[in-house]
Amino acid sequence: MNALPTKGDEAWRYADLKLLADVWQDVPSPEQITVKAGESMARQICEIPVIGNGVAMADLDIVIEDGATFTLHVLAAAVQYGRINIKTTLGKGSHFELGGAILGNGDQSLEIVTETIHAKPEATSNQVVRSVLGGKATGTFMGKVHVARDAQRTDAAQSVKSMLLDRSATANSKPELEIFADDVLCAHGATVGELDKEALFYMASRGLDPETAKRLMLQAFIGDAFVSAADDVREAIEGKALTILEALS
Amino acid sequence: MLKIENLQANVGVTQILNGLSLTINAGEIHAIMGPNGAGKSTLAYTLGGRPNYEVTDGSVSFTTSVRAEPVDAQTDDPSTSSGRTDQTLDLLDMDPHERAAAGIFLGFQYPVEIPGVSNLQFLRESLNAQRKVRGEDPLSGAEFIKLAKEKAGLLKMDMEMLKRAVNVGFSGGEKKRNEMVQMGIIDPKLAILDETDSGLDIDALRIVGDGINSIMRKPDKAVLLITHYQRLLDLVKPDFVHVLANGKIVKTGGPELALELEEHGYEAVAA
Amino acid sequence: MNDKVLNEEQRRAEERAEMNAEAQAAADAASTYEHGWSSDIEQDFAEKGLTEDTVRFISGKKGEPEWMLDWRLKAFRMWEKMESPDWAKVNFPAIDYQDAYYYAEPKAKPKLNSLDEVDPEILRIYEKLGIPIEEQKVLAGVEGARKVAVDAVFDSVSVATTFREELESAGVIFRSISEAIKEYPDLVKKYLGKVVPMKDNYFATLNCAVFSDGTFVYIPKGVRCPMELSTYFRINAENTGQFERTLIVADEGSYVSYLEGCTAPMRDENQLHAAVVELVAMDDAEIKYSTVQNWYPGDENGKGGIYNFVTKRGLCQGKNSKISWTQVETGSAVTWKYPSCVLNGENSVGEFYSVALTNNYQQADTGTKMIHNGKNTRSTIISKGISAGKSDNTYRGLVRVGANAENVRNFTQCDSLLLGDQCGAHTVPYIEVKNPTATIEHEATTSKISDDQMFYAQQRGLDEEEAVALIVNGFAKEVLKELPMEFAVEAQKLLAISLEGSVG
Repeated sequence: MNALPTKGDEAWRYADLKLLADVWQDVPSPEQITVKAGESMARQICEIPVIGNGVAMADLDIVIEDGATFTLHVLAAAVQYGRINIKTTLGKGSHFELGGAILGNGDQSLEIVTETIHAKPEATSNQVVRSVLGGKATGTFMGKVHVARDAQRTDAAQSVKSMLLDRSATANSKPELEIFADDVLCAHGATVGELDKEALFYMASRGLDPETAKRLMLQAFIGDAFVSAADDVREAIEGKALTILEALS
Repeated sequence: MLKIENLQANVGVTQILNGLSLTINAGEIHAIMGPNGAGKSTLAYTLGGRPNYEVTDGSVSFTTSVRAEPVDAQTDDPSTSSGRTDQTLDLLDMDPHERAAAGIFLGFQYPVEIPGVSNLQFLRESLNAQRKVRGEDPLSGAEFIKLAKEKAGLLKMDMEMLKRAVNVGFSGGEKKRNEMVQMGIIDPKLAILDETDSGLDIDALRIVGDGINSIMRKPDKAVLLITHYQRLLDLVKPDFVHVLANGKIVKTGGPELALELEEHGYEAVAA
Repeated sequence: MNDKVLNEEQRRAEERAEMNAEAQAAADAASTYEHGWSSDIEQDFAEKGLTEDTVRFISGKKGEPEWMLDWRLKAFRMWEKMESPDWAKVNFPAIDYQDAYYYAEPKAKPKLNSLDEVDPEILRIYEKLGIPIEEQKVLAGVEGARKVAVDAVFDSVSVATTFREELESAGVIFRSISEAIKEYPDLVKKYLGKVVPMKDNYFATLNCAVFSDGTFVYIPKGVRCPMELSTYFRINAENTGQFERTLIVADEGSYVSYLEGCTAPMRDENQLHAAVVELVAMDDAEIKYSTVQNWYPGDENGKGGIYNFVTKRGLCQGKNSKISWTQVETGSAVTWKYPSCVLNGENSVGEFYSVALTNNYQQADTGTKMIHNGKNTRSTIISKGISAGKSDNTYRGLVRVGANAENVRNFTQCDSLLLGDQCGAHTVPYIEVKNPTATIEHEATTSKISDDQMFYAQQRGLDEEEAVALIVNGFAKEVLKELPMEFAVEAQKLLAISLEGSVG
């Protein structure tokens, strides 16, 4: 077991270390997932496994072999401190797709932390994370994309958007690129903002009351994270997200 | 139907409307023309209740015929006066969505994109929100689709477009046509159309013009067309043409005024 | 009349010849480091090493008042207990702080009233520095030349200040910080260490203890500084740490543009530079701070070069105030630098425009912090990183919005360009937002020069290096256009020179 992280540990800088301290010895080691060459696999985390003391953690260590595809959809919500660690190592020509939503309320602290390693050429990765945070909640996304020296023709994208519903909520984003190959397409976009006022007025001008307009906009916002899921998965995870969202907004 | 008196409005700290008065009766089509910066869009947005458009003086009242008491929507015939009464609302006191529910439709010069929200969902929710305010039952999914198909057909718009997110990836012309489809579905009392003709090619312009005529040219409805060009007015004949300059109406006439403007320009005509 | 014309023509011909010669010289110099030289001016050294005595020596040498010495000693004791930060993406051997000199000044000379009295050796060095043409004219006394006040920091002590009179009649105080400590103790006391606190970070604390000299600027209420202020930094003595201290205060409604340009002679041993720059802008005041940093980056094998560990921070204290940082960083072996803005005043504006170019074994970890505390505060960050050779180039930035800061706007664009497959380009943005009315947008892209672009440029007649220089300048254009004119030209040349040897 590793030592309890401190604020000085970059990947834990926003973590609720106080809560974590009591259950640290019970934190399981990462689950190893290997997607065999050429195969496809999909996983979802609709609920983060609870360790105790209000702490829930999921920790995945994924190896995607050459030409394989791994699709992951996660929902970080409904626990006091929740963290999803995702470490992914991509083989040649493989693909990693991540869709994640962070929905926080009260004084919850929820984190999705990814490390995506493009170790070989021609792999692609796409990460879409949407956060909606109310009350005094903190939502954090930290995503590091590492492109190794010979991982030419990598295409890695990250889209991180957060929406705060209350003044006391906090959104932290750290989309990081670490690139050692020159022939790559790596881009990330991160925004924090309110609902589009233009769109809200447009909707109002068609007769929608402000609450309905806001609900529709938030649903669409969260929906971005799950468009890449298969229909049944999307229904399940998005349905759950929308129920939580309803209570939130 | 609409009575604007001495309307003064600011956008931010700048006063744009400087005492504008205008009366529109049911069954009339009015056109407002004027140079850039005259306050045409500001008028549209102010009537729609857009945030940041602050009315500093004047009044706007909106009078429509409403049912005196709840009746079955199916048997309600607005063209007869039986069981109906006139209701006058102080528009400036109302929120944007309340104005919409009262029967005011704003055709945007730049329709807004709303990623992730489909046109059909948007319109159905909008329409049912309006019906709820008016004490009408919501339309079922099937009823709504039927209505949407009919109006999309009228504007020659592919139903597939209506399944896509609102205005996202639409061309300028498609956005404007989408506005008209929305107008058809929502079926307002008063349509304020802000440069609906801009960005349209000749064929699209004809479709939009026909759409306005078939949806809005009715005894209990009215239209306020904001435009720069005569070409839309060839298709949708206005009863009155007004020239707007420096935030007020400086001249009013019949359709011939628009032709005069086209020929001689705003300055010569408004002087 | 005719004579006049002839003279004029002759003068022009001479000028042309001179320019050709200059161009030839520049081309010759470009094959190695352009500003590598060493000049001999007698030094007055503090003994090697860093102890309380060193601090006392420096303070005594400058004839500082007691309060200043106390301040320095407090910082020194604090620093002794601190550890060198290790979070940046840079690697360098541990610095032996006891193996460096902390104070060197040119041998004391009488106070100078005009440039004529400046040591010709120093003037010669200015020439070598390639001081922008406008300023050369000013130095040469050409009538009608655009005025730029130069407070030259030669090694550690300010030796020449021009245009002091004109500045003084406008009420502008432009002094070396040592002079200001003596002449304007109240102003200095009021602001020194207020933007960058003494305990801020390892290098800033070190600077507090041993800063040798630097610049103090005060622009009074309502004054638009009549000329651009410029300081040239040079590091001259071997094994001399350079610890500059700059403090600029712009009072209500004032404006100042400050240019900082740096070059350093070629040395084998790494030299530490740990400057602190503090800016304060009151209500409606604006400070524009531009830097071209061209210190010796080390040779093509990564030997030598400057360690540039700088703390630069501006405080927008007043409402509607604005602080704008523009930097072109091409030099130094290791750069650790984050010019930042603390936006406390309502409607205040922070800007950061940066081009950082690394080649060979250079390492740069640079970016900014925009701390939004006030309502309606806005910030813009445009960062262009160019990596070549075996270098590593990191953008590290923080955008923070406090819970009470309503309607904050930030836009950040970080673009990286990689030249070759042996370098690294990294982007580490932190976004921390506590107010729902904030609108924060961050975009980052990474690219290389496409074969199509290269072919197109070459087909039009440019050779490979010219084509790369052209494309790189285009890539950096958004930032370069923020520089004052005379700097922009120099900066473009600098980018091209710094890239030499990176192609092919």
